[in-house]
Amino acid sequence: MPHYIGVILDESRLAQIKGTPLEEKVQDLFGGQLKMLVVEVPEDKAQQILKAFDRARIDSRGFLEDLPVAFKRALFEEIAKAKSLDVIDKVLERLPEIQEAAKKEDEYIPPPEIE
Amino acid sequence: MGKLRMPPPHGGELVYRVIEKKDYAESMAAGAIEFELKATTDPKGVPIRHVYREIVSVCYGFFSPVEGSMTQNELESVLNERRLESGWVFPYPILLDVSDEDLKALDVKEGDRLLLKLKGQPFAVMDVEEIYKIDPKDVATRTFGTPEKNPEVVRQPFDEKHPGWMIYRCMNPNVIAGKWTIINPPKFREPYDRFWLPPAECRTVIKHVKKWRTCIAHQTRNVPHTGHEMLMKCAAYTGDIEPCHGILVNAIIGAKRRGDYPNEAILEGHEAVNKYGYIKPSRHMVTFTLWDMRYGNPIESLLHGIIRQNMGCTHHMFGRDHAAVGEYYDKYATQILWSEGIPSFGFEAPPNEVDKGLKIIPQNMAEFWYCPVCGEIAYSENCGHVDKKQKFSGSFLRGMVAEGVMPPKVVMRPEVYKAIVKWWKVFGYPFVNNRYLENLNKNLEIDLEPMEIPKA
Ligand SMILES: [Zn+2]
Repeated sequence: MPHYIGVILDESRLAQIKGTPLEEKVQDLFGGQLKMLVVEVPEDKAQQILKAFDRARIDSRGFLEDLPVAFKRALFEEIAKAKSLDVIDKVLERLPEIQEAAKKEDEYIPPPEIE
Repeated sequence: MGKLRMPPPHGGELVYRVIEKKDYAESMAAGAIEFELKATTDPKGVPIRHVYREIVSVCYGFFSPVEGSMTQNELESVLNERRLESGWVFPYPILLDVSDEDLKALDVKEGDRLLLKLKGQPFAVMDVEEIYKIDPKDVATRTFGTPEKNPEVVRQPFDEKHPGWMIYRCMNPNVIAGKWTIINPPKFREPYDRFWLPPAECRTVIKHVKKWRTCIAHQTRNVPHTGHEMLMKCAAYTGDIEPCHGILVNAIIGAKRRGDYPNEAILEGHEAVNKYGYIKPSRHMVTFTLWDMRYGNPIESLLHGIIRQNMGCTHHMFGRDHAAVGEYYDKYATQILWSEGIPSFGFEAPPNEVDKGLKIIPQNMAEFWYCPVCGEIAYSENCGHVDKKQKFSGSFLRGMVAEGVMPPKVVMRPEVYKAIVKWWKVFGYPFVNNRYLENLNKNLEIDLEPMEIPKA
């Protein structure tokens, strides 16, 4: 069974994929208030991801959730670079580096700059 | 239906076992055998429960009519029938457990008075009624049920992965039974102090300040998204001749797990719902109860009903997967209990229809989702566009928050998000992490004033 990872697109991410074929794949959520790309992940690779990150889990919609921010960031970087959603292998090649970054995230994530 | 009114406390009278007068408190403790309360820890040494929370909840009457650590007969009665010896419904064992070494060092016997200390200060006293042994694993399993004995709702055997089962499993093998009395009232730290409303006061506020004739309780251990908000708003349309006058949010505050939202953000997130007018403060109030959540789904719902009836609520909303973790129970176990009963747990009828049962009225609710066709947050029993539904997922929202993306306001109110960020800045982290746990386990939610006990 395939699983999915949702990549949320804020304004800067939307700008990075502007004019690429990815634009057509952007999904609207919540009446267009949230934009998202959905990456399909085959079962064996989903298992590899679950094994790499102890808090990761599959939610009731079949989405991989509670993934480290470093993983989500790397995933978007590869998507923007390849202008394609078919990048999960590229991301998995970077797994050791992502795991290293994720460890730091266990203790500190910089808060957003809002008042 | 006629007009409803506030139900009496469960068991008839509100328990209140707190001594405010300092000299009287000191004289009660004089000469008592001292014992410093300890956290229950899992095999890795991680605290998963602190009995102090149960002592507070018992003594302030949240768990009325329970008055302390249960005797062996009471424990058996609860495990076998979910009833106290007096016959009143009660779901969980409430126990002061001690290790063999501590019991030996204490050298107590029935009739002795114990002075229970917390954070090095005198906290409560108890007169020992009975000392007996338990098999913690047996207590754990009988508390939650098994697929064989409770086939109506238990779907798989409980094990180490269930945090509630682990609480009982990790208890010490000796129980000291007796009534608890707090002699040094805890001072809740900020922001807990703003939300501390024990049952006696809560009933007064509901009756005379808020002037709510009817009030529906909302259970939470989460920062509210708009799905929760819609659940509260829609569930509150029940009532009698008109919708419920009030909505009482009652957060369960206790042992935390990594990845949860901090307690502070949960309380202030719910507060933001009324402070910024999404549900007017004249109709919505946020409170909490100290309890290390057992995740007992139908069993937990009984305790929730008891707590909120004691606080003065007429109704209680129950959603799918109420107080659940994993797939140990049927997703609808709580709703099955409150609509037809669960005979194997001692309920031939719903808990509000049995003798010495609860007087609070259940409001069983289905799901909410965002529907792009309806263009609104829709109730699953209304919306026919099931294939278009966009479910609210707590973990999806957590992912968004961690990435530093402000959730759209149709999913989370901006002021609720700001409450998360406020505490994110304080803790350097949006969720519970190891440092948060270390601090919470060391400082707990309270401080105690220094108190000198005269030696006998
Ligand atoms: Zn619809």
